[in-house]
Amino acid sequence: MSQVFLPHTLEELWTIKQENPAALIMAGGTDLLVKIRDRKLPPAVILALENIAELRQIERQDGEICIGSMVTHQQLLDSPIIQTQLPVLHQAVAVLGSPPIRHMGTIGGNICTASPAGDTLPPLYVLNAGLELKNAATSRLLPIQDFIQGPGQTLLGSNEILYKIRISIPAPHSQGFYFKVGQRKALAIAICSMASLLQFAEDKRILEGRFAWGSTGPTVMRFPEVENTLIGEKLSPIILGRLGQSMAALVSPISDVRASAEYRRLLASKLPLKIWQSLI
Amino acid sequence: MTTYASPIGSSLKRVDGPGKISGLEKYAADYYPDNFLWAGAKRSDHPHALIKEIDISPVRNLPGIFAVLTHEDIKGANRVGVPEMDQPVLADRKVRYKGDPVVLVLAENKTVLQEAIDKIVIKYEPLPAVFDPEAALAENAPLLHENRNDKNLLLGGRVVRGNSIAAMSECDAVAEADFQLPWQEHAYLETEAGVARVDEEGILAIIASTQTPWRDRNELAYALGWPLDKIRVIAPYLGGGFGGKDGITVQGLLGLAALHSGGRPVKMWNSREESFLSSTKRHPGRVHYELGCKKDGTLYAMNCRIVLDTGAYASLGGPVLALAMEHAAGVYRIPHALIEGFSVYTNNPVGGAFRGFGAPQVLAGLEQMMDILADKIAWDPLAFRLKNAVMRGDETGAGVWMSNSTAIIPCLEKLQEHPLWTSRQAWVSQAPPFKLRGVGIAAGLQGTGYGPMVADIANAKIELLPDGRFRIYSGVADMGQGNNPTNVQIAAEVLGQTADCFELIQPDTLQTLPSGSSAASRTTYSYGNALKAAALQLKERILTRACNMGMGLYAEDFLLSSGRLNHLPSGREIPLGLVAASMRPEERVSIYSYTAPVNRYPDKINPDIRAAGFPHRVFAFACHLARVQIDELTGEVEISDYLAATDAGKVLNPQLYEQQVQGGAVQGMGYALWEDFKLDRGELMTRNLATYILPTSMDVPDILSIAVESVEESGPFGMKGIGEIVINLALPAIANGIARAVGQHIFKSPLTAEQLLLILEKRAAE
Ligand SMILES: Cc1cc2nc3c(=O)[nH]c(=O)nc-3n(C[C@H](O)[C@H](O)[C@H](O)COP(=O)(O)OP(=O)(O)OC[C@H]3O[C@@H](n4cnc5c(N)ncnc54)[C@H](O)[C@@H]3O)c2cc1C
Repeated sequence: MSQVFLPHTLEELWTIKQENPAALIMAGGTDLLVKIRDRKLPPAVILALENIAELRQIERQDGEICIGSMVTHQQLLDSPIIQTQLPVLHQAVAVLGSPPIRHMGTIGGNICTASPAGDTLPPLYVLNAGLELKNAATSRLLPIQDFIQGPGQTLLGSNEILYKIRISIPAPHSQGFYFKVGQRKALAIAICSMASLLQFAEDKRILEGRFAWGSTGPTVMRFPEVENTLIGEKLSPIILGRLGQSMAALVSPISDVRASAEYRRLLASKLPLKIWQSLI
Repeated sequence: MTTYASPIGSSLKRVDGPGKISGLEKYAADYYPDNFLWAGAKRSDHPHALIKEIDISPVRNLPGIFAVLTHEDIKGANRVGVPEMDQPVLADRKVRYKGDPVVLVLAENKTVLQEAIDKIVIKYEPLPAVFDPEAALAENAPLLHENRNDKNLLLGGRVVRGNSIAAMSECDAVAEADFQLPWQEHAYLETEAGVARVDEEGILAIIASTQTPWRDRNELAYALGWPLDKIRVIAPYLGGGFGGKDGITVQGLLGLAALHSGGRPVKMWNSREESFLSSTKRHPGRVHYELGCKKDGTLYAMNCRIVLDTGAYASLGGPVLALAMEHAAGVYRIPHALIEGFSVYTNNPVGGAFRGFGAPQVLAGLEQMMDILADKIAWDPLAFRLKNAVMRGDETGAGVWMSNSTAIIPCLEKLQEHPLWTSRQAWVSQAPPFKLRGVGIAAGLQGTGYGPMVADIANAKIELLPDGRFRIYSGVADMGQGNNPTNVQIAAEVLGQTADCFELIQPDTLQTLPSGSSAASRTTYSYGNALKAAALQLKERILTRACNMGMGLYAEDFLLSSGRLNHLPSGREIPLGLVAASMRPEERVSIYSYTAPVNRYPDKINPDIRAAGFPHRVFAFACHLARVQIDELTGEVEISDYLAATDAGKVLNPQLYEQQVQGGAVQGMGYALWEDFKLDRGELMTRNLATYILPTSMDVPDILSIAVESVEESGPFGMKGIGEIVINLALPAIANGIARAVGQHIFKSPLTAEQLLLILEKRAAE
């Protein structure tokens, strides 16, 4: 039996953390408890964030959307702000886990787990999300791609928590897409996933195209040099197919029990065409 | 007088529903007796090795450890299994697969239990291991069980009809292919569980999640050396079984633990990982077919070779092979056939009973062959099947006589006239961009019961209680399929009662009578026959007694209805309690023993194969249709529509029947597309439900079910078993649909998206 703390304020949290430096932060527990059960983590003292109300909010301030780290996937799915302003993220949480997992699991947990298969990550990469990290004394803001260093590796300090996720609302005439290939339609870990944010000019030419790939390397990946080749183009199967080919040459997938590297790479080359498939 | 519709044929509400939904009904895993100990096994991490030393010293003095047991603590033969008793309760000299239990620990709680299991040291001397059944048949292959004449061959045999080799050359078209079938995990919701205790009188009582309480009792007596009459096995409702609990799972370990717990109760409940590691699976196999026909579409010759991997122990690997051979010619007349079968020991997990019992493997192959061959002679695949399908009185290509109800042709005709079939071309041509569509069908059959050499007997018992209600002593375990609630329906029909006039006793070797396993599609068929007769006998007794009591002159003047007798000539009503009061206890109990009919014709069949259960007499039939859509960008297969036409005789309860169709079809879809049980040199790669992919509700379509109700004269109210026929055809129907979509058959299942995309890519490159 391990001890569980449930602070109601950040102040309480800092105190407990100071007294129990080895305590493990728990959000929804859908990753943490699985790891403890699998004995990948010790059954340590648990410091649960669930009662801290300020971590549970989705706010819109000027051109920015601020998501508390304890916001659940279901909250994101139910939020009109997310649905209308950040459809790429909305599409991702719609295919994340299953209803129970979406009700328990949080965006903060998904980020801190730092799995290359995390479904909110490719959208957050193309949205250039900033992460606000806090400890008892200070807070700092890091771009998500700097925060995540590798599978399960982040720059989270030992006394820090992930506080909020800050996202600038995409420019008008932007369209977001998220495609995930898992081994089944629900409760599936991504074998390969892709988020895309396309910004169009009046004449439908692409002003900016961002693409992020999940499960094809140690972290979610973006390739700005390939993205740039889209500028000024109109969407077509040929353009998207060519983009996929270039991306597939750059990703570095692994083989595991779920899929071979060969399949993942092939998927990476095809997923851009899903944009076309979804538009017609 | 209240009237109500006849219970048979109606979707009578399941009497087990409220208890299960409210949580009041206890499954084996729900028992936590006072002062119980946890029991758990330390299992082998070698696929094949001699046990050199078991060092339990690191845990002997661990606080919370009650006992640490090895094979030396077992007084009996230390072997379980049916028909071959070759599986140790605890490994003695050697281990034969990664997962073999070696040491049993009894502890005060699960944490200490795990700690002890981790700390015990077993020294092994690794032996060469064999993981491929064909390799295991080779001359110099490592032997799993040393003293067998047949070495690693558990069972082998042939069925020969005519001269298929010569006949093949007389065919106008011949197709040949080699199919690879995977393991399948039962993945029942309730993992193997139970509690056990030895009481003051030395009775070892085990409550376990088991399909076979009676057989377990016999095996336990032999393995543990405890007197048979001092063993009691109770089988509460199971949280799923599908064949995986057809025999001993934790019962041997539980019994052993209880014999060494100083009278304290013991409990075991496998984690999902331990369940995956230790439970039996559907036999993986290789099935090779050569099938030939004449220009006019008549099947003429078949060669079939079946190799099943039965893993480290026999379990039901012999009977599964025999059933596979029996079903290898499917529902077709084929005059010349050669069927060879091999069930082979390897150092893999144990293959055992699984819904379908060998039929899914062969029908997966045969039904794809039917499509391949139909294409060769440019025949419509449905017409080709209709042309060759058996009718009552025919023999199948395997030489099995269709002596009873046989409605495969009506099943095929239902499908032929269905819009999902008639509109298929339009549907295929309307595929959206980057999608490929195809429609596939498959037909098949499934035997009911045990075959000719193991008597399929059910002993029903029903009692009129003093208060005028009835108690049914169910002899066959209910895995969730609802056979015991159906018992209420059967007795209610015979006795004119409503469902609330009954109580049900679940199988218990102390109270109910031996009635065989919950298996082989025979559960309601065999027990239902026995119960129907027992209830009829009780009814006659009640009516006669009423006459005895001077309440009327003739039995036929009475109408038995809910809780009372109506004397029709006088309009008098007599409460059943009054009749019960006039009966002696032994009169109020009615027992009937039913033995299922078999087909004998012994000369034609190889005696070993016959002993393993070949052939059956009563068969269910079905034909399935799948419309599939493949995503060219990902290889993912979507089953857009699904239709099952089934002849399982008369339908006793439409809702339960449809649940079987749906559940079976979905389990078959899992087998077809997703359930890829992976092993690497005997080591489990898919250790739990995170990597072993079962379909979710999002992955399967609505399933349409058409019941083609033949009347099976030998079955209660004309029924025959529905439990297994439902799983047999999803794989071939889906595979045929996929083949039509991509233009090529894929012989290795499951047909994963990965496999498909790589094939599509290769074809595009060519
Ligand atoms: C059955 C199942 C299905 C799943 N399916 C998917 C899926 O489809 N897609 C997917 O992406 N994921 C899936 N997951 C993984 C998991 O649900 C998600 O990653 C989820 O978002 C994790 O959030 P959580 O709140 O449960 O995190 P927790 O388990 O509570 O925490 C995860 C890690 O993050 C740390 N952490 C959490 N919050 C903070 C914080 N605010 N500050 C600092 N550290 C923090 C914890 O210490 C822990 O190390 C699945 C999990 C399960 C069990």
